[in-house]
Amino acid sequence: MNIFCLGINHRTAPVEIREKLWFSRDEIVSALETLQQNNLKELVLVSTCNRTELYYSFRNELLNNEPLWKILSIQKKADGLSAENFYSLSSLNAVKHIFGVASGIDSMVLGDVQILNQMKEAFTVAQERRTTGLLINRLFNTAFHVGKRARTETEIGEGAVSVSYAAAELASKIFEDLTKRSALLIGAGETGELTAKHLTSRDLGNLIIANRTRSRAEELAAKLEGKVTDFDKILDELHHVDIVISSVESPSHIITEKDLRNAMKQRGNKPLFIIDIGVPRNIEHSANRIENIFLYDIDDLNQIIDANLSHRKAEVPKIQQIILDELSQFKLWYDALEVTPTIQQLRDQFENIRTEEVKKHIHHFPAEKREEIEILTKRIVNKILHTPMVNLKNGSEELSTHETQTKVHILRHLFGLEKKGS
Amino acid sequence: MMLMMIDLLEIILPVCYFIATWTYSKSFFKNSKLAESLKVRFLMTTLIIHGVYIVLRTLRFNHPPITTVFEIFSLIAFTVTLAYAYIEIQTKNRSTGYFILIFPFFFQLISSLFIKELTEIPQVLRSNLLGIHVGSALIGYAAITISAVYGFLYLMLYHDIKSSHFTVIYKRLPNLEMLERMSFTATVLGFIFLTISISIGYAWLPRAIEKFSYADPKLLSTIIVWLIYAAGLTAKKIVGWQGRRIMVLSLIGFIITIFSMTIINFFFSSFHKFI
Repeated sequence: MNIFCLGINHRTAPVEIREKLWFSRDEIVSALETLQQNNLKELVLVSTCNRTELYYSFRNELLNNEPLWKILSIQKKADGLSAENFYSLSSLNAVKHIFGVASGIDSMVLGDVQILNQMKEAFTVAQERRTTGLLINRLFNTAFHVGKRARTETEIGEGAVSVSYAAAELASKIFEDLTKRSALLIGAGETGELTAKHLTSRDLGNLIIANRTRSRAEELAAKLEGKVTDFDKILDELHHVDIVISSVESPSHIITEKDLRNAMKQRGNKPLFIIDIGVPRNIEHSANRIENIFLYDIDDLNQIIDANLSHRKAEVPKIQQIILDELSQFKLWYDALEVTPTIQQLRDQFENIRTEEVKKHIHHFPAEKREEIEILTKRIVNKILHTPMVNLKNGSEELSTHETQTKVHILRHLFGLEKKGS
Repeated sequence: MMLMMIDLLEIILPVCYFIATWTYSKSFFKNSKLAESLKVRFLMTTLIIHGVYIVLRTLRFNHPPITTVFEIFSLIAFTVTLAYAYIEIQTKNRSTGYFILIFPFFFQLISSLFIKELTEIPQVLRSNLLGIHVGSALIGYAAITISAVYGFLYLMLYHDIKSSHFTVIYKRLPNLEMLERMSFTATVLGFIFLTISISIGYAWLPRAIEKFSYADPKLLSTIIVWLIYAAGLTAKKIVGWQGRRIMVLSLIGFIITIFSMTIINFFFSSFHKFI
């Protein structure tokens, strides 16, 4: 099978190596051009923060060129890479691998939903540059189908698996419409920022940021389109915000149960969702007893993530089954691109049509003529098929495998042999 | 012919309710895509068939179907489903149907199993105005029941979120705010229909029934139920109560309603009993 994959990912290389081989869209375009000059017929280059993978087929498998990983490294002017950082797969192994990637089971975060979109983008770039053909088109379209099946038939992508996402998901279980809600971010740390980002991406109405260093809060406010308030005014903000994300370093609680009881009185007992990511905890945990206060600390969130991850892991066997199904379908399709079985199937199809028609109308003819009719119709069918069959057979000796496969594919499509073949 | 049709519908209806309830449960607990795509169609078909059944019965027997407890059961099944369909359309949330439709299914099943024809119907039960009085009371109670179911679901989800215990309830139910809104919509609907029913009752019953008394226990308990819901709506809209507290109030209102409908009906004598 003329399908190959060369890749680098989180299993074969640390991030400092992987990032050297990250290709932007423009870099992908120029890499595709360079690679095509190196005996590659069809190719797609997928590059994300966790993996860079090249899916390709050879123009001529016998030519021996410079290793592709070196060409990629030179293209990116990346040093310090070695052959051990890469994996090289061929034939069904490469097909199985791309199906695994598309379904999310090969991702660093199991069930990551981003990868499918990134693959689609990479495929579109390759199509625009006309570096895809029959094999790679089929390969990627089947991979997208696998990805879709994994998402609709299993729960591989369900449940949050990062602290920030878990917090945003919890918020959407409490509030119906985040556009009417406001959040207070206390501290400008990374996880707090990510959580706020997740909330704003869900159309959070209003974001207020408080940080001990005001300039850092202002910087973040500009980035996330929020407002800034003084750090010592956070208790006043509790009266009207709906969500509080707190992640500051503080030896004692910055908000106590008493503060929250007062705030609840002021706010007419409206629900308040609090995420305390600080270690040690920023908010007195006993406040969770107060009606309509939903308080989560980092351990609570980690517990959610662990449960979701084990749920996702339990879905992996289902996905492996989907991959096996699709793999065998893909192999059937590929094998059918051979010339001989196609010729045989086409003959069978014509013969079936002939037999059916003769059977339907033979009674109109006298008994002594019926044998003649059989011979005559057979001769017509054979003559119709003769020229295309000879051309196809001769072509398979003269043309490249790829061109023959394309011809066979068109023929199978025209005569509806695709379904019969599988 | 019409009688045969009515008999046939009595068999078909529990089956329809079962299918609708089953598809809603498959879609909630098993996340079935097929059930998800079919459930609303099943619900609407059931409602139409049930509507036809009620009309046929009214025409054939020449009185609204409120003369026996089993006719009332069928009417309860219809009104609960109707009120649920209204809330589903209003809130655009289709996930909670199972928790509601399970009630109409059992009501209709019992009705279909035991329903029969009364030979002698008191004249007062043949009145169409009484039909509206009973009909709106039933819609009112159906809506109150739905409100209580949503209140109950709210408290379950509230508990799940508070205790970080994430069951299928957490995964599939809509958010707390929406459950509160659904419960509130149902309460408002219930309150409006109860008001209509009570108004017709007070205006018309004294003239229609000789034994009518304003001190009747059934009337008094209905007024108490009405007052509780009026107080709840005031607490929500004017005092600004929300969340768990208002949901608990909705459940209390429902328990008192059940008390008024059953205990008082069985243990106190009332003109408000005809059969």
